[in-house]
Amino acid sequence: MSSLSANQVTVRYPGQTRPALAGVSLDIGPDDLTVALGPSGCGKTTLLNLFAGFVKPDSGTISFAGQPVTGPGAERAVVFQHDALLPWLNVRDNVAFGLRLQGVAKAERLARADEVLRLVDLPEAGGRYSWQLSGGQRQRVGIARALASHSQVLLMDEPFGALDAFTREQMQELLLKVWQQARRRIFLITHDIEEALFLATELVLMSPGPGRIVETLRPGFSQRYRAGESARAIKSDPAFIALREQLLATLFDHRRKPEEELA
Amino acid sequence: MNTLETSLEQRLVAAAPKGVPDEIEAEAAALSPSVWAQYRRGWLSGISLLGLLALWWGLSHSGIVPPLFLPSPEAVLAKLITVSTQGFMDATLWQHLAASLQRIVLALAGAVLLGIPLGVLMGVSPVARGLLDPLIEAYRPVPPLAYLPLIVIWFGIGELSKVLLIFLAVLAPVIIATSHGVAQVSRNRLRAAQTLGASRSQLLWFVILPEALPEILTGIRIGLGTGWSTLVAAELVAATRGLGFMVQSAAQFLVTDVVILGIAVIAVIAFALELGLRLLQRRLAPWHGQLD
Repeated sequence: MSSLSANQVTVRYPGQTRPALAGVSLDIGPDDLTVALGPSGCGKTTLLNLFAGFVKPDSGTISFAGQPVTGPGAERAVVFQHDALLPWLNVRDNVAFGLRLQGVAKAERLARADEVLRLVDLPEAGGRYSWQLSGGQRQRVGIARALASHSQVLLMDEPFGALDAFTREQMQELLLKVWQQARRRIFLITHDIEEALFLATELVLMSPGPGRIVETLRPGFSQRYRAGESARAIKSDPAFIALREQLLATLFDHRRKPEEELA
Repeated sequence: MNTLETSLEQRLVAAAPKGVPDEIEAEAAALSPSVWAQYRRGWLSGISLLGLLALWWGLSHSGIVPPLFLPSPEAVLAKLITVSTQGFMDATLWQHLAASLQRIVLALAGAVLLGIPLGVLMGVSPVARGLLDPLIEAYRPVPPLAYLPLIVIWFGIGELSKVLLIFLAVLAPVIIATSHGVAQVSRNRLRAAQTLGASRSQLLWFVILPEALPEILTGIRIGLGTGWSTLVAAELVAATRGLGFMVQSAAQFLVTDVVILGIAVIAVIAFALELGLRLLQRRLAPWHGQLD
């Protein structure tokens, strides 16, 4: 089974007393859309950077398909919150950029780019430039770029955090569609509880001081969306709201504890 | 690419519905007065230049200032024709101009060929920065004409000295701008390229250099400005051809119209260089100042 896993991982940043992550283990299977949810400082970004290969663990291991992860690699593409498209390339060349780096012929990589742009509902945007797009369109290009180069994992670093509420809802639905059609495992981090609940097949709740996983659950709402229920109906479902409040309570609970320990 | 008018229109229309990112609305608000302001500024600049010309014409024709000190605009214009056809001091205006341009082009090419790699090195490697920074900071604030005598002692009064002097004047801004541009490359873009499989050299060619390009061009623009003024001054000292030499020798024989003509040509070239590089910058880096 080729899974992306963190095994008892601890990360310390120099000059900080508490570790950013302490003894975290997580497995992301081929069909998972795993969402890490938590307040700032809970180590979710560090966890994503570990999977991406930007950060090395002080102890524990990160592995993908049985091989240890030692640095960034094309099989693990990252979608950033902003600032990651290349403004001197048009949308199509941005999407084809990964294939160009791998030496894929021009006609082939542009055809692939067009195909992926259709998947993210941007079939007409190929000739435009990132600075001519709205925030939501830019993120769709970012997702398309990550998909185009035949990566096996999408690591998404608060991808919709800078978008307005309307666009964010649209992007969440688009992501579920893309995830289903492109059959790519996804690890997404967010501090938006609704987003996490709506998207995740597996949701890991993280807490700061030191960063750790405090709860893992399988909310199952994205399956309902895929079965045809509307996003708004799901998000206003009493079960959804109850789980949201419960998660919020858990987060506040864990947030208080470290302070009590200090006192 | 949109033309200015249609993109303005689109932005104004786009500003209306809900959910449009704030920056587009802000841009639309900022753009419409700025187009008008540019238009008006163009007119005002024209008026002040015409005013200067009129003042010159009036003074030279009133008889208050003798032609030896201030020849009339027509006389200078007539001189332009004779100097460009028959020449002045054994060379036509075009030959003087060519001599000056050749020097600056050689110096610029050298400064770009050496300055960009050094700047990149300083931008990516703290060791290179530590080693090179004091050297550049030591010579950069010194006016080039201050070390011209030393260059003349070492390399004589030939072409090499002049080109070397301009080269040094252009080099520092190119290196500094390049290293600054390279050091400022967005970390997310580098990381994104890495996760798409970019090697170190691919990072350099496909991410770092394109992103630093607007800064590099700014460095070249600043360098060319200093280089041009240095060149003209250097030609005052030791030369047999060149715009600076032409002005200097005309002054010695009190041929004031050639002096004014020379100064005007020097000004026009400086303006053209600046404008050309700005155009190049807008062409090569249209995203500059548009995003993040």
